Amino acid sequence: MLATSALTAPAVAQDVPQIGAAVYGLNAEFMQIWSAALEEHPAVQEDLVDVTIFDGRYHALVQQDQFETMITQEFDAIIFVPIDIDAGATAVEAANEAGIPVVGSDTRVNSDLLHSYVGSDDVRSGYMLARYVLDQIGCEGNVVILEGPIGQSAQISRLEGNMQALAECSDVNILEQQTANWSRAEAQTLMENWLTSHDGEIDGVIGQNDEMALGAIEAIRAAGLSVDDFAVAGIDGITDALVAVQNGDMASILQDARAQAQGALDVALAAVDGEYEPMSDIWTAYTDMPWNAGGDAEYSVPWTPVNDENVEALLATRQ
Amino acid sequence: METDQTATPQAQDARKLRLAQYGQKYGILIALVLLCAVLAIMNEHFLSTRNILNVLRQTSINGILAIGMTFVILTRGIDLSVGSVVALAGIVAASLATTSSTAMVAGGPYPALLAIAVGLSVGMSCGAVSGVVVARFAVPAFVATLGMLSAARGLTLLYGDGRPVLALTPEFRWIGTGEVFGIPMPVVLFALVFLIAWWVLNSTRFGRHVYAAGGNPHAAEVSGINVKRIRLMVYVISGALAGLAGMMLAARTGSALPQAGIAYELDAIAAVVIGGTSLAGGVGRVTGTVIGALLIGVVNNGLDLMGVESYYQQVIKGVLIVAAVMLDQARHRRE
Repeated sequence: MLATSALTAPAVAQDVPQIGAAVYGLNAEFMQIWSAALEEHPAVQEDLVDVTIFDGRYHALVQQDQFETMITQEFDAIIFVPIDIDAGATAVEAANEAGIPVVGSDTRVNSDLLHSYVGSDDVRSGYMLARYVLDQIGCEGNVVILEGPIGQSAQISRLEGNMQALAECSDVNILEQQTANWSRAEAQTLMENWLTSHDGEIDGVIGQNDEMALGAIEAIRAAGLSVDDFAVAGIDGITDALVAVQNGDMASILQDARAQAQGALDVALAAVDGEYEPMSDIWTAYTDMPWNAGGDAEYSVPWTPVNDENVEALLATRQ
Repeated sequence: METDQTATPQAQDARKLRLAQYGQKYGILIALVLLCAVLAIMNEHFLSTRNILNVLRQTSINGILAIGMTFVILTRGIDLSVGSVVALAGIVAASLATTSSTAMVAGGPYPALLAIAVGLSVGMSCGAVSGVVVARFAVPAFVATLGMLSAARGLTLLYGDGRPVLALTPEFRWIGTGEVFGIPMPVVLFALVFLIAWWVLNSTRFGRHVYAAGGNPHAAEVSGINVKRIRLMVYVISGALAGLAGMMLAARTGSALPQAGIAYELDAIAAVVIGGTSLAGGVGRVTGTVIGALLIGVVNNGLDLMGVESYYQQVIKGVLIVAAVMLDQARHRRE
């Protein structure tokens, strides 16, 4: 396979940069939107770059093997969305030794060898999330927190943000705080049980992602209660959540997968060719995130609260 | 039991075995009752109607999977594929019962009954493939269903292009969120599946053959039982119930997710083992399985109510599984 493609494809493939995207897994909607956006980048569409996406299947070791493959095949740059904040560092080190620049995207990795990082600040989203719920309940009452898998970077950072906002409301009680592992079914079970043990006491639900917030909504309905009596919010802006926002059931904060993916590719291309000018429209859309010749160590993609004004337009992009 | 006076040595052995079985069955039941009593004392909400319905609803999906698993384990088999079949049947049925234009099969949404029939067929087909591989090609069940675990998950991702299926019709969602006389539908389905399984295993020829094929396959074969057919059938049953559970899960959560059901096979096997069914085949009861599933459900619910971290739930489940098998081994030694 490799030999044939090397023999038959040189006319096209040789002069454009080869960029690999190692993503932690393609089973959930967020990374699918991310991957689709990468393929839709103008440089890919115009065949100015050859992009290969590697599915890490949620294993740090699989991702490391894929890095070795890319190093052997002498890729020009790597975009990295690691499953694990620490385990990914070894892979980055190997690519760095081979002289291949690595651009982080979406999830974090504990490594100072990254060429750059294009992602969103989870502490910020955690703060916005909790702040929304607290504003809805008038800074007093009882809340529950549905957390991501304990120890994952998004869970740690979002909780930090949650706590910053909660510190501003001393009259708010945290009744329960437990992980539902980003899962809707797990959150639903947890919320059903909490609605029993804290009958009539829960005012707000802080869901560290949309799936868990949606699970809480299903639990509220299953208990025969009205969703209107609860302030529920989540993060990510997945399609189901957008529909729930449209129905007035919850609030969501959109994590812009498209900007993270296309921004990372632009930065990677600039790392390969110093003359490169960014082709994605995200740099004009987010004026708070200047391009700076692709040389910044970190690009922070802003979060967008989903509300009545933008939900229709966002849903239209998911068709 | 009625021939105590004239008991032959075999009959005495059989009676001892039965006594041991009853002892074990009630052992699990006593454990469940004790646990409920402790939880009722420690938490005022535990015995409320709403919480009891919650426990039953939360147990229903694992309970149904575990009932299917009981048939398989009784024949000395194992079905590792149920979690993946949950996802596949859920997403195929959901694609027929969605109003979302992106995930819809042309001409949909179709009536919920049709979607459910298709979902059950998907589950049965997966089971039939595993069953044929085990029964006709003599591949160990562990390997055959491990293959299906991977293949069915892959098919789920291929079928839905890795995306969830959203916006399910209210009729379809009724099997997960509806109520009959105040009893949630998942609980009703769980009870129905239990009653049918109990009847099949205890009162039909097929049920007796399942025990015979698992207890001593060679003797069963000699006495004219088509052991291969029995083996095939138990995987079809397990597949069908996994299909049902998958559709209930999708209906309950409101969308069919391709990553649904991961590791569900482990909880199902745990319920069967805690319920006293022997992995060596031939011995076990579906009643025990249901009690085992309830025990797991009550532990999870009780710890949630008391605000205990979920990690303890996993530790306790682990202890329960091992304790149940230790009991099983102790009984074997006594015999």
